[in-house]
Amino acid sequence: MNQVSVLAQSTLGESNTEASLLAVRDFSLRRKQATVLDRITLCLNPGETLGLIGESGAGKSTLAMALIGLLRAPEVEIEGSLCFRDTELTALKEADFRRLRGNKIGLIFQDATAALNPCFTVGKQIAEPLKRHLGLSATACRERAVDLMQSVGIPEPRLRLDAYPHELSGGMQQRVMIAIALACNPELLLADEPTSALDVTIQAQIMTLILDRVRALNSSAIFVLHDLALGAQVCDRIAVMYAGQIVEEGPSRRVLDTPLHPYTQGLKSCVVELGMPTLTPIPGQIPPLDAMPSGCRFAPRCPKAQAICSEQRPELQTRDERQVACWFID
Amino acid sequence: MWQATFTKLGQTLLVLLLVSVASFSFLKLAPGDPVTIMLGSDYSKASYDQLTQELGLDQPVIVQYGHWLANFVRGDWGTSYITNQNIFELAVFQALPVTLTLAAFSLLIALVIGIPTGVMAALYRNSWVDVLATTLAIGGNAFPSFYLGIILIWVFGVGLGWFPTLGFVAPWDDFWQGIWHLALPAITLGAWYVGLIARITRSSLLEVMGQPYIMAAKARGEPGWRVVWVHGMRNVLMPLVTVIGLQLGGMLRGAVMTEVVFALPGLGMMITSAVLNREYIVIQAGIMLTGVLFVVLNLMVDQTYQFLDPRLRRRK
Amino acid sequence: MSHALDLSAPNQAASWRRRFLQPLMRQRSAVVGLVIILAYVFAALFAPWLATHDPTAQDLGAALQGPSAAHWLGTDSFGQDLYSRLLYGAQLALIIGFASVALGLVVGVAIGLAAGLIGGRTEWVLMRIVDGLLAFPELILAMAFMAVLGLGTENLVYALALSFVGPFARMTRGDVLQVKSQPYIEAARLMGVPTLAIIWRHVLPNVVSPILVQAGMRVSIAILLESGLSFLGIGVVPPTPDWGLMIAEGRGFITIAPWISGIPGVALAILLVALNLLGDGLRDAFDPNTQKDA
Repeated sequence: MNQVSVLAQSTLGESNTEASLLAVRDFSLRRKQATVLDRITLCLNPGETLGLIGESGAGKSTLAMALIGLLRAPEVEIEGSLCFRDTELTALKEADFRRLRGNKIGLIFQDATAALNPCFTVGKQIAEPLKRHLGLSATACRERAVDLMQSVGIPEPRLRLDAYPHELSGGMQQRVMIAIALACNPELLLADEPTSALDVTIQAQIMTLILDRVRALNSSAIFVLHDLALGAQVCDRIAVMYAGQIVEEGPSRRVLDTPLHPYTQGLKSCVVELGMPTLTPIPGQIPPLDAMPSGCRFAPRCPKAQAICSEQRPELQTRDERQVACWFID
Repeated sequence: MWQATFTKLGQTLLVLLLVSVASFSFLKLAPGDPVTIMLGSDYSKASYDQLTQELGLDQPVIVQYGHWLANFVRGDWGTSYITNQNIFELAVFQALPVTLTLAAFSLLIALVIGIPTGVMAALYRNSWVDVLATTLAIGGNAFPSFYLGIILIWVFGVGLGWFPTLGFVAPWDDFWQGIWHLALPAITLGAWYVGLIARITRSSLLEVMGQPYIMAAKARGEPGWRVVWVHGMRNVLMPLVTVIGLQLGGMLRGAVMTEVVFALPGLGMMITSAVLNREYIVIQAGIMLTGVLFVVLNLMVDQTYQFLDPRLRRRK
Repeated sequence: MSHALDLSAPNQAASWRRRFLQPLMRQRSAVVGLVIILAYVFAALFAPWLATHDPTAQDLGAALQGPSAAHWLGTDSFGQDLYSRLLYGAQLALIIGFASVALGLVVGVAIGLAAGLIGGRTEWVLMRIVDGLLAFPELILAMAFMAVLGLGTENLVYALALSFVGPFARMTRGDVLQVKSQPYIEAARLMGVPTLAIIWRHVLPNVVSPILVQAGMRVSIAILLESGLSFLGIGVVPPTPDWGLMIAEGRGFITIAPWISGIPGVALAILLVALNLLGDGLRDAFDPNTQKDA
C-alpha cells in the first residue's frame, strides 16, 4: 500500500476503513446545550500527518481530547463515530480505552510546564506509561527512558532522569512531554499546539523533532495548530475548522496555495509576510458557543455570504482534490 | 539547602531565647514573695535573708536570669514544694510523653478519617456525600473539645461501657490497654482536627484535579484511583502539612482540655493543676517546655516543606 | 494565615454596603450563621427581661431538677435556674468574646502600625516581642496570664486580649509593609501630602478591612478559650453564669442530671458553629484567592 494511492483514495472523500487508521464520521459533541463539535468528518491513514487549523475556540483541542478519550459520555453528549483501526472508540469501555491511551494513542500537551507533575521526577513520569502498558521492570523502564530522552534530544539523559520538571527549561520540558507521548510507540500521535508556549527560536526545533520521531516510528499524527502556514509546511493534509465544523480539508499544499473556502482565504491573507502593504484581518469574532448562527456558521463574517448561507448549512463537497463546505466555491 | 537550614536554626534559637525570657519574666511577675511562701507563716529575718541569698534573689535580675537559664538547660528545674517531686522528671519524663502520645494518636485518627472524607467530598462534589462531609467537618472543628469529651464519656464510657473513662495507661507498658484507654481522648482531640483536615483535603484536591498534569496522567492511561491517590494527593500533602502546622496551637489547646476531662497526666494537666495550686515554678517549667516544644514542632514542619515540594529544594 | 489586600482602590471608605454586605449575603451558610448569632445577641441583650429567675439565686431545695414549669430548663446542683443562667451565659460569652478581641485588636494594631511605619530599630524590637508572644500557643499564654493576674471575668478579658495581641500585631505590620510599597503612597508623598494624612487616608483603610475579618474569626476562638478556661477553673469565678463553668459544675452529676452540662454545652456548640460559618463566609467573600466552589 503505497502512500500515493492511499492519498488518492482518501481525496475522493471515501474513507476506506480497511486502510485508514482513524475514521471520524459525523462526530458531534455537545456540552451543556452548546454544540461544540458539529458533525466532524475526517480520515487519517497510517503514516499520514494531518494539521487541524483554526482560531481559538474553534473546537480543535476539544476534538483532540475526544480522540484520546479525555472527553467522553456521560460528561458530554456524543453522536457519531470515532473509529480507530476497527475499534469504535465511542462504544469502548473505559478500561479498554485506558489501554489505548498513552499506548497506541499519545497526546502532547500545549503547556509542558503545567502538564508535568511538579512532585515527581521526569524519569518517573516517562517511565509511567512504560510500566503500565508495556509491563517493563523498573530497571528496564529506566533504560528505555534514557533511550527516549536521547531520541528527543535531551543532553545527558542519565543525569536528567532524576531531575524535577521545574529544573528544566521550557524547551526541555516539552521534549520530555514528547518522550512521554512516544514512549510506547503509539500509532496515532495527537499534538495540541506543541510549540505555542515556547520561544520562537525553539519552536522550529521542536516541530522538526516531533516530525522526525513520527516518521521514524511510521506513526500518524494530528497537529492542532492555529497557524495555517505552519500547518501546511509540516503536515501532509490540512483540515480547517471553524466554530466546531470542518470547512475545508485536503492536501496541505493545495489548500495553502489555492484556498477555496472564504474562511481559509481569510486565514491566508492574515498571514503576515515581509513586504506586505496592509494586513487584512477577518472581521468579527467566533460566535459564542450558545449563540451559534443557523445555517453556515461563518456566514456572518463572510464576504461572499448570501441569503441561503444563513438558512442552510453547506455540506462538504469534493472539489479539486478537496472537501469544502461552502455554497459559493469558485 | 544547608544555608537555609542554618538561618532557620539561628532564627529558632532567637525565638527560643525569647521564650526563655518570657518564661522567666512570668515567674518574676507572679504575685507573692516566693521566699515567704516557702518559709511558711513563721519566720525570722535571719532565715528570710538566708533563704533569699540561697535562692539568689538578692542579685540583679539579669544575673538571676542567667542562673535560671543555665539551670534550665542543665535540667535543674527545681522541686515542687507541694509534691516534692523533681520538676524536670515530672515534666519531661512523665507529662510530656503522655501529651505527645495523645497528640500523635489523635492526629493519626484524624488523618485516617479526615483524608478519605475530604477525598470523597472532592470527588463527589456537591453531592450528599460532600454536604455531609462538609457539615461534619465544620461541626467537628467548632465543637468545643471539652464538651465533646464529656459527651463521649457519658455515652460510651458510662452509658455503653465500651471504653474506660479515666486514666492513662502507657502503650509502651501495655499496648492494648494503652490504646483502649486512649481511644476516647484521642477521638475527642482528633475530632477537632478531622474537620480541618477534611476541608483542606477537599479544597486542595479540587484545585489539584483541575490542573493540566492530572489530565496528562489520564492521557497516559493511568487508572482513576491512581490519578487521584498518587498524582493528585501527592500535591495535596503540602497544603495539608501547612495547615496541620499552623493549627498546632489549636491541637495543644485541645490536648489540655482533653487531658483534664479524661484525667490524663500530661502537660496540660500538669500546668492546670499548677495554676490552680499557685505553684509558679511548675507553671514556669510548663510554659517553657510548651514554648520550646511548639517552636521545635514548627521548625520540623517547616523542614518537611522542602521534602514535600521539590520546587522548594535548592540543587546544584 | 494569608489574605490578599485589595490594593487597587486607594480609598476604601466608600460603598461599605457594596463591599461588605452584598458579597456576604451570597454565601448561604454564612447567612445562616449570622442569623443564629443575631438570635444569641438578642437573647443576651434582653436577658434581664427574658430570664425567669436571678441567675445566681440558689435554692437548694429545688436542686438537680429536670425541666419543669417552674424551671424551664431545670436546675443545677445549687438550685440555680438553668434557663436564666443560660441567657446570662450568652451575655457573658459574647461580652468576653468581643471585648477581648477588641482590646487585643487595638493594642495589636497599634503595635503593628508602629512597627511597620516607624521601621528600623523600633520595628525590630517590637517584632521580637511579638515573636516571643507568638511562640506560645494561645491557651498557654492565657493560662499564664491568668496565673499572674488572678481569676475573675475582668482578668479573663485582659488575659485573652494579651494572647491576641501577637497575631494582630504581626498581621498589621505585614499589611502596613505591603501598603507602604504601593505606588500611590509614593505618589502622595511626592505631592507633599503630610504623613499623618497619608496614614489616615491611605494606609489605615487598606489595613483595617482584613483585620476586621480576622477579628470576626477570632471571636469564636475567644469564646472557646474563655469557656475552656472557665471549665478548667482558671477563668471566671462561681457563681458567675458562664457556660464553661456550668459544664464543669455539671460534670459530677452527669449520670443523674445530664442536662446541667448538656444544655450549656449545646448552646456553646451552636454559637461556635455559627461563628465559624460566618467567619468562613467572611473569608470566602473577601479573599479573592479563595476559590468559590458553588
